Amino acid sequence: MASIAAPGLAISVNRSHRRLNSSTKTAGTSATAASLPKLTVQSKLPTFSSSQNPKPSSSNPRDNSNIFSPKQLHNVIKTSAAIGAGLYALSSGVSNILLSGNGGGSSGGIGSGGGGGGGGGGDSFWEKIFSPAAIAGEEESQEWDSHGLPANIVVQLNKLSGFKKYKVSDILFFDRRRGSTVGTEDSFFEMLSLRPSGVYTKAQLQKELETLATSGMFEKVDLDAKTNPDGTIGVTISFLESTWQSADRFRCINVGLMPQSKPIEMDADMTEKEKLEYFNSQEQDYRRRIERSRPCLLPVSVQREILQLLREKGTVSARLLQKIRDKVQQWYHDNGYACAQVVNFGNLNTKEVVCEVVEGDITQMVIQFQDKLGNVCEGNTQYPVVRRELPKQLRQGQVFNIEAGKQALRNINSLALFSNIEVNPRPDEKNEGGIIVEIKLKELEQKSAEVSTEWSIVPGRGGRPTLASIQPGGTVSFEHRNLYGLNRSILGSVTTSNFLNPQDDLAFKLEYVHPYLDGVYNSRNRTLRASCFNSRKLSPVFTGGPGVDEVPPIWVDRAGLKANITENFTRQSKFTYGLVMEEITTRDESSHISARGQRVLPSGGISADGPPTTLSETGIDRMAFLQANITRDNTKFINGTIVGERNVFQVDQGLGIGSKFPFFNRHQLTMTQFIQLKQVEEGAGKAPPPVLVLHGHYGGCVGDLPSYDAFTLGGPYSVRGYNMGEIGAARNIVELAAELRIPVRNTHVYAFAEHGNDLGTSKDVKGNPTEVYRRMGHGSSYGVGVKLGLVRAEYAVDHNSGTGAIFFRFGERF
Amino acid sequence: MASQVIREWAGFQQFPSATQSKLLELIGKLKQESVSTLTVLVMGKGGVGKSSTVNSILGERAVAVSAFQSETPRPVMVSRSWVGFTLNIIDTPGLVEGGYVNDQALDLIKRFLLNKTIDVLLYVDRLDAYRVDNLDRQVVNAITNSFGKEIWHRGLVVLTHAQVSPPDGLSYDEFTSRRSEALSKIVRLGARTRKQEVKASSIPVVCVENSGRCNKNELDEKILPNGTAWIPNLLQSISEAVLSESKGILVDQKLIEGPNPNNKGKVLIPLIAAFQYFFVVKRIQKWIRNDIARESRPSWA
Repeated sequence: MASIAAPGLAISVNRSHRRLNSSTKTAGTSATAASLPKLTVQSKLPTFSSSQNPKPSSSNPRDNSNIFSPKQLHNVIKTSAAIGAGLYALSSGVSNILLSGNGGGSSGGIGSGGGGGGGGGGDSFWEKIFSPAAIAGEEESQEWDSHGLPANIVVQLNKLSGFKKYKVSDILFFDRRRGSTVGTEDSFFEMLSLRPSGVYTKAQLQKELETLATSGMFEKVDLDAKTNPDGTIGVTISFLESTWQSADRFRCINVGLMPQSKPIEMDADMTEKEKLEYFNSQEQDYRRRIERSRPCLLPVSVQREILQLLREKGTVSARLLQKIRDKVQQWYHDNGYACAQVVNFGNLNTKEVVCEVVEGDITQMVIQFQDKLGNVCEGNTQYPVVRRELPKQLRQGQVFNIEAGKQALRNINSLALFSNIEVNPRPDEKNEGGIIVEIKLKELEQKSAEVSTEWSIVPGRGGRPTLASIQPGGTVSFEHRNLYGLNRSILGSVTTSNFLNPQDDLAFKLEYVHPYLDGVYNSRNRTLRASCFNSRKLSPVFTGGPGVDEVPPIWVDRAGLKANITENFTRQSKFTYGLVMEEITTRDESSHISARGQRVLPSGGISADGPPTTLSETGIDRMAFLQANITRDNTKFINGTIVGERNVFQVDQGLGIGSKFPFFNRHQLTMTQFIQLKQVEEGAGKAPPPVLVLHGHYGGCVGDLPSYDAFTLGGPYSVRGYNMGEIGAARNIVELAAELRIPVRNTHVYAFAEHGNDLGTSKDVKGNPTEVYRRMGHGSSYGVGVKLGLVRAEYAVDHNSGTGAIFFRFGERF
Repeated sequence: MASQVIREWAGFQQFPSATQSKLLELIGKLKQESVSTLTVLVMGKGGVGKSSTVNSILGERAVAVSAFQSETPRPVMVSRSWVGFTLNIIDTPGLVEGGYVNDQALDLIKRFLLNKTIDVLLYVDRLDAYRVDNLDRQVVNAITNSFGKEIWHRGLVVLTHAQVSPPDGLSYDEFTSRRSEALSKIVRLGARTRKQEVKASSIPVVCVENSGRCNKNELDEKILPNGTAWIPNLLQSISEAVLSESKGILVDQKLIEGPNPNNKGKVLIPLIAAFQYFFVVKRIQKWIRNDIARESRPSWA
């Protein structure tokens, strides 16, 4: 079973966090990691299953803000508040840590998860095992030095000893303008990498101060230490926040792929005139920069909100800018633009705030194949096969969107050619602000063969199994996928329940699939399938009506060749047309070919003069016919409940080729509507709407109609509450059904009513099997049921006999 | 069956002379209408006296009869000729077995009758059964379904065991007419005769008495309690049915199997296929195109 681990956000957040912390502790360098999201799919088997289409997890805003929290971005362009134009940089560059999704990486993930879980014994245990850096940190923490000074005195930073490791007991921000300390929830705290009860050297504290001073947030910032009696120190950071003129305009521009504006160091001994010129030229530069920049994706409504914010606050303060930045980034990340970042605020002090955003333009899209060890290798799959699955939002020149990435992941996964798929946005080193989308694919083995065996023990005489009744059975299958790298495949399988006597019951299938019939570059998606098959089914035509003793069953064996072309219009709507050539053999219980149905005489004997089973009346028919099927399906899931419409029309057109020259037109039309009865909010965990299902099915045949092709009424997929074929077998039928589904907790209950009618055409089937087996030809039923996982449990009342019964069925009726 | 030797009608001479002369008169009449062969089909429930009636008509023990069990496992045709006139009588097994119409027997009869022309149908039942029930109807229905309702134009209802003492308070004639009325009604229903046709072609009812103890008149003819000599009477009715306007029923393959539903509308198939392509497939394709156009795109697309 394939599983999608789209760790994307939450997991990578944890990991990068850990790395950041440990790196600050050990190396003492400021961490400058903005982790980019990564998408990964791993599939062990290329089977299709519903789990391969996960619900797109809506990106959690909290997680996003964590990833892109300024703490991780705060390494900055050096700006000086003295620059008149006020280039104010919050962060620059997109550096990232990409974590591998496999092997050691994942165990590290567990470790960090435990560590993040709130410390305790488990914390250090995991850290000891998985994180050498953390061990180093532990050792350090045990060896902090006492400040060696009298308690309760304020020491300036430069008075601290350069050789001691100080333990910081608490950190305070002191706003000099307001003359008060700032609460810990303030955004300033996010900028700080110091943590209470951490151990730092003087150099580290100085670095921290420098970082703060150069962030552009403060006009002035100082760091003092207050000694505590227990040898630790309390750190107070007193600051004067930067402010600018009030603004009444707001503009957001996309500066991706443009060179970052780098301030030129001002010569200290410039004359006034030179200074003026310098400022003018800078202003002009900036105007030109705005002109050259591209419009950004930020919608007007958000811009208006920000403008409102600007007007309310009056002066533009650093904190306000931070708030604006958060808001802008929030919008981008909420909408999936995971690589978008506010890099700069320009034009401060000029009535207009210009927000510069690097949106994450894709400069390149790379498809890479990896071998089992993760090394880049040459793949067998041709690139266009993968490329046609990618949404155009991932092409060069578009802004990277994580939803498009997820879509690409799903599309590629549905090819069932790869065991591991990763979609990685990576910053483009050569092109600042650009994103390279890397798609890394691990191919599945092209050839595979499988043997599965099973023993069945059939109760012998007296109900006891004997040695002879143990039957070895099983399936042998092989598959050759992705021929010529064009996703063509051959697969075959043979199944028998008894290898010792395989002629009794041997099912085989050999299929060749040829996608991209119109060429891999053509957007028309047609697939050719050719197969050789057999099947064995119990004929519901030879079934007794209510109260009729058991009717001897007739098995219908089909074997033949089939070739068809499927054109996919959408994921669900498609048109299939092709040719079927098959041989139909009808057999009785003991596998003898029987040309006529059997029936039990009132005397108890069995007579073989029932309705003919085949057209040729020999028990073996051969025929060739054209088959076409068009399916229109616009159903979708709303909170897990299906809503929409599905129409299927199928025609089998006989060609007059075969036994008795069968010429017929057998057609059926199915219309199913799932009507949503209440508008509901969509989202994970929200209640699904109540749904009314209306269903109609018409089947008819003109021309030669052998009994095995007659339409039968009754059964779990026809009229519930009856057995398969219990109502009748006819030339033309109509089925009508209505079902009301009411959600209850996380499942639903339903009530239904169904009717099936042969329209009086039972007699138009040769031998009139409906009458021979004493069936009504029409019937209704009604009942209630509840869905329990995959199983439907329902109580259905059969209207012909008026009796009810409880049924358990797998799967859906419609 | 066809190769069956046509024997002399030896029993003819056994009839009393009065009967013989009446029969010769009838044969002469038929010959005038250039009818030289007459095929009579005898059908009915089991044990009502079909075979006995056949024997009585022929005046010999042509088919085996037994008082207590069904002796006719399959249809038998007895052919007798006299003065250039051939009489074929087909005796059949009873149509009812175990309370149901025996489809197998019916099938057997149908196949036996293949390529034969039935001139007259004798539907045999007992006079001394008081009730008609659903089973009678089923039998009549089965006959109609097998040979078509036209056969009743050549049909006769024959009531056996006619020498019966009627229940208290009823005269013989009254009883007979009541009984025949009830049966005729069933036959009319089963034959699906339309109302206006009923008067035009009422199905004649004839009573017979096959028993050896049958009363005889002074001419040594077997007579019914009401004094009718029944053998000439029966043959009289038969010849009248033959000479009526209707035609004999030729049993061919088509009649046995009924109209082949598989051939109905076959010529229309190309038209139907074209209609399906242009009005159903094209329509659904249009719907799909609409769906694609209306599909809500995600915000990033």
